[in-house]
Amino acid sequence: MQRLYDSVEPRVMDEHMLKLAVEEQGPQEEAGPLARQEGILFKDVLSLRLDFQNILHIDSLWQFENLRKLQLDNNIIEKIEGLERLVHLVWLDLSFNNIEAIEGLDTLVNLEDLSLFNNRISKIDSLDALVKLQVLSLGNNQIGNMMNIIYLRRFKALRTLSLSGNPIAESEDYKMFIYAYLPDLRYLDFRHIDDHMKDLARSKHQYSIDGLKQQEHLTQARLDDEQAQQEELKKHKVAFVEHLNGSFLFDSMYAEDVEGNKLAYLPGVGELLQAYKDKFVIICLNIFEYGLKQQEKRKLELDTFNECIQEAIQENQEQGKRRIAKFEEKHLLNLNAIREESNVTNIERKKVEYGEDITELFNVLMTLEMQLVEQLEETINMFERNITDLVALFIENVQSLMAQCRDLENHHHEKLLEISINTLERIVKGELNEDLPDDVRALFVDKDTIVNAVGASHDIHLLKIDNREDELVTRTNSWCTHLVDTIHKDEIMRNRRRVKEINQYIDHMQNELDNLECSDVID
Amino acid sequence: MEVLKEKVEEEEEAEREEAAERGEKVMRPVEMRREEPPMTQEMLRDLEKKLSEIEIVIPEQPSIITRDTFDISKLPLSYQSNTLKEEHLLQVADNFARQYSHLCPDRVPLFLHPLNECGVPKFVSTTIRPTLMPYPELYNWDSCAQFVSDFLSMVPLPDPLQPPSYLYSSTTVLKHQKGNCFDFSTLLCSLLLGAGYDAYCINGYGSRDLCQMDLTRDVCPLTMKHKEVVQEEEKVPPKKYAIKPPRDLSSRFEQEQEMKKQQESKVEEEKRRKEEEQRLLEVEKAKIDPLHGLRVHAWVLVLSGKREVPESFFIDPFTGRSYSTQHDHFLGIESLWNHKNYWVNMQDCWNGCKDLVFDLGDPVRWEYLLLGTDKAHLSVAEDEEDGMNDEDVENLGKEDEDKSFDMPSSWVEKIEISPEVFETRCPNGKKVIQYKRAKLEKWAPYLNSNGLVCRLTTYEDLECTKTLEIKEWYQNREDMLELKHINKSTGLNIDYFKPGHPQALRVHSYKSMQPEMDRVMEFYETARVDGLIKREETPKTMTEYYQGRTDFLSYRHVDFGERVKKLALNSAESNPRPMVKITERFSRNPEKPADEDVAERVFLILEERIRLRYHCWDDRITASKREFLRRTEVDSKGNEIIMTPDMCISFEVEPMEHTKKLLYQYEAMMKLKNEEKLSRHQAWESELEVLEILKLREEEEEVHTLTISIYDAKRNEKSKEYREAMERVMHEEHLRQVEAQLDYLAPFLAQLPPGEKLTRWQAMRVKDECLSDFKQRLIDKANLIQARFEKETQELQKKQQWYQENQVTLTAEVEDWYLSYCSQAMFRIRILEQRLNRHKELAPLKYLALEEKLHKDPRLVEFLKVFV
Repeated sequence: MQRLYDSVEPRVMDEHMLKLAVEEQGPQEEAGPLARQEGILFKDVLSLRLDFQNILHIDSLWQFENLRKLQLDNNIIEKIEGLERLVHLVWLDLSFNNIEAIEGLDTLVNLEDLSLFNNRISKIDSLDALVKLQVLSLGNNQIGNMMNIIYLRRFKALRTLSLSGNPIAESEDYKMFIYAYLPDLRYLDFRHIDDHMKDLARSKHQYSIDGLKQQEHLTQARLDDEQAQQEELKKHKVAFVEHLNGSFLFDSMYAEDVEGNKLAYLPGVGELLQAYKDKFVIICLNIFEYGLKQQEKRKLELDTFNECIQEAIQENQEQGKRRIAKFEEKHLLNLNAIREESNVTNIERKKVEYGEDITELFNVLMTLEMQLVEQLEETINMFERNITDLVALFIENVQSLMAQCRDLENHHHEKLLEISINTLERIVKGELNEDLPDDVRALFVDKDTIVNAVGASHDIHLLKIDNREDELVTRTNSWCTHLVDTIHKDEIMRNRRRVKEINQYIDHMQNELDNLECSDVID
Repeated sequence: MEVLKEKVEEEEEAEREEAAERGEKVMRPVEMRREEPPMTQEMLRDLEKKLSEIEIVIPEQPSIITRDTFDISKLPLSYQSNTLKEEHLLQVADNFARQYSHLCPDRVPLFLHPLNECGVPKFVSTTIRPTLMPYPELYNWDSCAQFVSDFLSMVPLPDPLQPPSYLYSSTTVLKHQKGNCFDFSTLLCSLLLGAGYDAYCINGYGSRDLCQMDLTRDVCPLTMKHKEVVQEEEKVPPKKYAIKPPRDLSSRFEQEQEMKKQQESKVEEEKRRKEEEQRLLEVEKAKIDPLHGLRVHAWVLVLSGKREVPESFFIDPFTGRSYSTQHDHFLGIESLWNHKNYWVNMQDCWNGCKDLVFDLGDPVRWEYLLLGTDKAHLSVAEDEEDGMNDEDVENLGKEDEDKSFDMPSSWVEKIEISPEVFETRCPNGKKVIQYKRAKLEKWAPYLNSNGLVCRLTTYEDLECTKTLEIKEWYQNREDMLELKHINKSTGLNIDYFKPGHPQALRVHSYKSMQPEMDRVMEFYETARVDGLIKREETPKTMTEYYQGRTDFLSYRHVDFGERVKKLALNSAESNPRPMVKITERFSRNPEKPADEDVAERVFLILEERIRLRYHCWDDRITASKREFLRRTEVDSKGNEIIMTPDMCISFEVEPMEHTKKLLYQYEAMMKLKNEEKLSRHQAWESELEVLEILKLREEEEEVHTLTISIYDAKRNEKSKEYREAMERVMHEEHLRQVEAQLDYLAPFLAQLPPGEKLTRWQAMRVKDECLSDFKQRLIDKANLIQARFEKETQELQKKQQWYQENQVTLTAEVEDWYLSYCSQAMFRIRILEQRLNRHKELAPLKYLALEEKLHKDPRLVEFLKVFV
């Protein structure tokens, strides 16, 4: 169904058009004048209808942040665009337009009902973000490939689908195929699917569906595995000991070390290297386990702290609430008393008394808050001390373990040097029997070369170890400072908010009293 | 017996010495009668002599159940006479008694073989008949004891200082539903032994209260309040980062002073209370009983061990209560017995039963009557030795004989209690017990037409004149009323209901049944659609509490104003009171943000004000508020102002833009207006419901129908009818069957002289006659059919002849008639022919069948067998 849009002038979606539509569809009857008088903000609008407007480009909709329902049917839109900000959208109607591809819907995660009826779409895709999709209308389009159905399997909530008027709908197997591949579907092309048909379809396509399922299952399992691994790594990272539960560090030491690898071909070095590696890995594992343990300790510490702080705040809040409740009771009585009092002097006296009450409440609340601030400060300081100590201890121990690594490296280096020089001597004497690769043999020209080569390898190793250590120490320290800072900041924020709240409340009360005076004066 | 003798002598010797030394009186069960100053040994002996000379004339005791009331001759034989074994046992017992009285002349004669209802002496142990009742309620000792105390009505002993001379069987006692303490104990002991307890009957001495079943100094168990177990809250150890409490700035000295003062006042209070208690105790204390320690009583002892009884205890059969063996009410034990043996107490009872040791295997403390029963003997070997050394050879022989002798089985018939009687429980289904400041009345279920089963009246004073409160328990009521509690002093009535009342009522407390008075109704909220838990009413207010509603309403309070006077109608229904104020509270709806979730809604209807208070955010201490003025005003141009800024005063914790708008406020107010209407309507409906419930309650009180379980076959009229109908049908069916099996021999047997046994010849004759008769019948029948056949044929022939003769002159009609006649006649003839043929075929078979039957006939079979 093609509409000629040469005959009508396309219209631009501008402020004026939107305003008109909003006002037209806004509150009716008595509330209407009120609404007009105040004006309606676009962001308060929940539902908007823009049909039969000859719109070509979707535009200017970014203000409608809270829009839930949008109708743009019967226009001449060619491209879905400009809807990115409407994240709360639940209902979107784009039927009877000239859209050719599904796009621009990636942010609409809340969308449940999407209608693209009577467009020029030939492929179903780009709908991945719409996890809540329940109703999808794609009738009268140009979808020709049955495989598009399989794409729809990912929408677990999809219950209603319409695809009639597409080339695929003419295929003989169309309905059965859909019944079989989308078993959760309830309505197809506005008709209820009966269970009997579903069973038939399932048995018909049993084989291919099982294959598909198996594949999906495998993918899912792989994803899960990956996720689990990521989680694990994250946990290790939090403990600052990632990649220390194996030979990762050792391998990285030799990854960039050309000379070291070459030297491994020397007789006796292989065994030496293996022993070195084993020892090194054991130390790494020690560090790893120690790190996890320390992490547990830190977490426990933090949890206890948070719990205690929460309890204290809760308790304090309860006290405050009680005070206020008591005050409110009195407040109502007071107001009534003042209202009913006829004697002017009495009124004045009562007002003064009431004003004093308010001040007293203010004082009490503020005292409570100050008290809490003091208490919290003390506790926070204590926590800070403890956590810093913990971190310091952790770093110290890790450093000593790292020093062991370095010792191992030094030891290894000495041994290697010894072997190298021996080999050199033997080469010089021509006693060496074993075959050595050419590039290795090239190292044994003179003593300086070989010493340099071994030294270079050693330096690389030390550098790697140092780097790892530095990384751990910096990250740990920064974590600690960040944590303490956040705690302090949060506490300050809390305090400010509370003080603001109290002031606001007291102001309101005072205002009410003052208003009373004014109205009395008028009376 | 030698053992006994020696032991007793030793004991007496020792006691005498002791008494002489200390100058104390010897307190033995017997001697407790005398209250005398310390005396010397000689005086004591003299006195004993004197006393033994005095012949106490025991008046002929009127038996509790007069002989006329039942026919002795109907009782089984075992009741009316003794078997040889029993006779033997009686002899043994007599011998035992003789020796006992010889050895312990200062003790009262033993209670060994009282007369039963037929005047036959029976040994007490044989009167116990261990029986397990088929009612699960009677499997435990407490319910058993309660049953016995409920089931029998108490008759005091004819002489309170003597054991009765009669002891009836439990069956007789159960039949008459009354008895003395011995009857009670025997029955209870039988039941307990049947249920597997190690129970014994005790003959001893009890306090006056115990013997007369006087509970007026006991607190009723139903009035005792359950002690609430105060659970000590576990002190959580202070956490590492727990904040320090703010510094306490109050003076410690002042606190101490305050504490001191409080303590002083407390001590004083305590003192006063104690004095008061003392005073009360004095008042309540019983008058001193002149016969203290002499009143004979019988009760039951349950020893530990069997049925997982951890500690031995007494059961008083009159009240069914258990007491520890140290209790003050029990003043001494003469003897005890079960169905297997009889033991005499040899321990000193100067301190009541407090020092007694219930180790029945210890022959020093307990002298047994029969050897060889299942009680373990502590020092059997010693006994034997002592016995051998004794010179009394005659006794020795006797004892040896005794050893092989065990208790004969009980002469009492099996104890049976029918379900009807068991359900009725108390005699005539009613029982009254007087407690201290309380009276307890019990009825059998369905006895009272209003379902009343129990009533407890508590009084203010000891004389029971001023009623304090009444508690009435009901059962099987259709309106599920369970308990009615009437407090006379405050006038407050509280009705408790079981689940199932048509209005889901749980508790209803009120002072009067008039509407708009103080009352509280509690409901089973799960049974109600609106989740109402409780509705409290005062003349001016109504408060309702809800739970589990989808709109989170938890509380509604309505204040009513004065009723507007109307001339015509004045009923509460047509003229509801005007509502002044409705307060509604809601619990937190977790789906809404706190400052959109209303916590309290107050409709001030007269002031046209609506006050809203919202819930508080978790981290806040203040909550948003909003107040709407519902007044409609008119502006200067005469237009109605629908909304102005000052019609809504709001305080917001977190000020938001959209709530400031008039439109928002207007919409909120419109919604509230509707909700106000709804709330008013609901309040009005609640009022109506109260009226309805009150009406319903009144109706229920008047009708008080009782429900009958469908399993209650006796009371359920419907099932009874059905059952009777079924029985009738069965009966009819049976009659028909009997008819079908007609006795073919009866007429022949009737000819023979009645009451005599058949001879073979007679049997043969009967058989032959029967057969010939049958043959005759068959022949007659065949002849009859033949005759009819012939007659029919003849008639047809005649007609045919007639037709042939007059064929020419006949009209068409007559010819038609003739033809139809012919066809009918032919049909009849054919049928007759068939019957005849069939008869001829069947007759011999039938004859043979009868012959066969006669051969198998039980009356003839033994005579005919020979010939078969």
